[in-house]
Amino acid sequence: MSPWTERYRPRKFSEICGQDDAVCKVENFIKDFKRNKKKALILHGPPGTGKTTLAHVAARETNSEIFELNASDFRDKNRLKEILKPALEQQSLADTGKIILVDEVDGISAVDRGGLQELLTLIETSPYPIILTANDIWDKRFNVLRRVSEMVQVKEVDYHTIKDVMISILRKENLFINNNLLTSVAVRAKGDLRAAINDIQSLSRMRDPSILTLDERNKEVDIFSALKMILKGKPTRETIGIFDSVKMNLDEIMLWMEENISAEYKGRELVKAVECLSRADIFKGRIYKQQYWRFLVYENFLLSYGISAAKKEAKVGYTSYKKPTRILKIWINNQRIAKKKTIAEKYADYVHIGSKRALKEFPFIKQILKNNLIRKELKLTQEEVDYLDKPVVV
Amino acid sequence: MVSEIWTEKYRPTEFLEVVGQDNIVKRVESLTNSLNIPHLLFAGPAGTGKSTLALIIVKKLFKEAWKDNYLELNASDERGINTVREKVKNFARTKSIGNVPFKVIFLDEADALTPEAQQALRRTMENYSTNCRFILSCNYSSKVIDPIQSRCAIFRFKLLEKKDIKKRLMTIAEKEKLTMVPEAMEVIYEGSEGDCRRAINILQATASISPSINPELVSTIISNAKPKDIKVVLDYALAGDFQNAREKLLDVMLKESISGQDVIKAIQKEIWGLPIEPEIKVKLTEKTGEVEFRIVEGSDPFIQLQALLASFVLAGLGKE
Repeated sequence: MSPWTERYRPRKFSEICGQDDAVCKVENFIKDFKRNKKKALILHGPPGTGKTTLAHVAARETNSEIFELNASDFRDKNRLKEILKPALEQQSLADTGKIILVDEVDGISAVDRGGLQELLTLIETSPYPIILTANDIWDKRFNVLRRVSEMVQVKEVDYHTIKDVMISILRKENLFINNNLLTSVAVRAKGDLRAAINDIQSLSRMRDPSILTLDERNKEVDIFSALKMILKGKPTRETIGIFDSVKMNLDEIMLWMEENISAEYKGRELVKAVECLSRADIFKGRIYKQQYWRFLVYENFLLSYGISAAKKEAKVGYTSYKKPTRILKIWINNQRIAKKKTIAEKYADYVHIGSKRALKEFPFIKQILKNNLIRKELKLTQEEVDYLDKPVVV
Repeated sequence: MVSEIWTEKYRPTEFLEVVGQDNIVKRVESLTNSLNIPHLLFAGPAGTGKSTLALIIVKKLFKEAWKDNYLELNASDERGINTVREKVKNFARTKSIGNVPFKVIFLDEADALTPEAQQALRRTMENYSTNCRFILSCNYSSKVIDPIQSRCAIFRFKLLEKKDIKKRLMTIAEKEKLTMVPEAMEVIYEGSEGDCRRAINILQATASISPSINPELVSTIISNAKPKDIKVVLDYALAGDFQNAREKLLDVMLKESISGQDVIKAIQKEIWGLPIEPEIKVKLTEKTGEVEFRIVEGSDPFIQLQALLASFVLAGLGKE
């Protein structure tokens, strides 16, 4: 079940809709590369408008091999050499050209000063055309980069074009969605063609799409992006509202923050961030105890802005974030100690104490329970007995 | 049928057998003799005789029919105040058997209930007070709401003195034909932390290995029960490895089923043995106290403990 955004990705210049100007400029850039002064071209514009697609199509159409570089690759000279080695050394055996693609060069604080310098050096010395993509290239650290590159804007895809593309895809898929709904989708997409295609794909899976209401996309943010924004970026006004766009309740978000803070922060900033987390947790506890929901404001603030502000400098590079593991571990553990629990319960019942207390005292109880008569007294099952006699101590 | 579990086998069945709570026993005895008790609140540390005293009261009141007239509940085991109320309702439906016109409900760990749940409990107590008397048991009476406290006669149990626990242990050792040296008794008392039930359990656990109770054997039994890997957690933290410290902490808590408060206790004990400057030890202990406070207040122990670990990381970096 491949995504339609992949299946229907344009493979030829002629298949790219609504970006004629950009297509033309890119085609010329590659063809005239040897004669050009500028070795790099920046494709900039809102998401889902075809920047990366255009780069790949250009490679295809000019019979070139594409080498993709991640912004974080520029931090490490060796890594850079490693990736570009095959590109730079292998002089064309076949008569294929090469294109270097640096996708999302703006990322979130993606390229730091050192990395940026590497990139500029590459641009100066590269024998091959370099295409960069970015959503927002106007930050002042990109001043030099902009000067040495050709700037090509990729605009928001126009609403009619979006609709046309959707209709043509639906036709190929042999599906039908009524016109009003299509219009709805096209408008809601706000120029993001990828989003529109995703929306109709999910609609098409429903029995009766006409009765559906689409979720306002609202630049929907997933938890990984939120983590990135908070942990890597410096706090801004947007930071405070970031969790509103994440489709998860705050309790779950807290677990995600808890799991991933230490992947990013070290030393003093780690202490500050974890302290913020613990204060957020105190508010959470008070909300439950006192049902005073106003505290949610503070819990949210600490989890987003507080943690983000714990660091002095923004962070760069790619970090792999993990799903929270704590709940799963607790569940697994509960399965493992299931027998221990039932034994503790039987004992607790018999001696008039709570089962939690029995669990706490279990090492002593286990010893006492070696006595067969006592096992009979407590009516332990064979499984429980086997558990007690296991050689490995839990 | 007599139990082989010593905490049961040697549980006092008469008022005069109860040790270390003389004032309380006197008052309770006279109340019981009058065959009319108010609601009671037993407050005090674990293993000091609360459940025992409740059982004696009930056996004195109802004699052989005591099991039919007695309901024992544990607030932290039940799935919430509503199950408690249901059970009370069903129990209170039927009249008492015998001369005494009421039945008795023992609610253990009543302080585990939230204030809201306790309000609900108060209403239940009122609704059934003609038919049922409650004996509430808790560790901290401050956690029991005032309306409930005002409806009960309050009895504060003291931590048992060394001589009381020793006396009990000696009695048991004699009856079970064990040989025990005084030093072993000391070790058991240390390990019990004033909790008589635990002391007896330690004794029985040791005796299950050998009837000759010597201090080394007792020490081994006790140290096997201690959360050992706390030191490892702290070592990771001091070395700056927060992620591993955190994982190990979760591991220890899950494997050994120990609560956040137990971890804090263990950490607090370990601080003084750590290879760091005295001023830092002080700061860390302060931070530990703060975290313990938060845990007792009701925050997520694991998250609060992580904040503590982060402080250890700082201390290890010498930056605090």
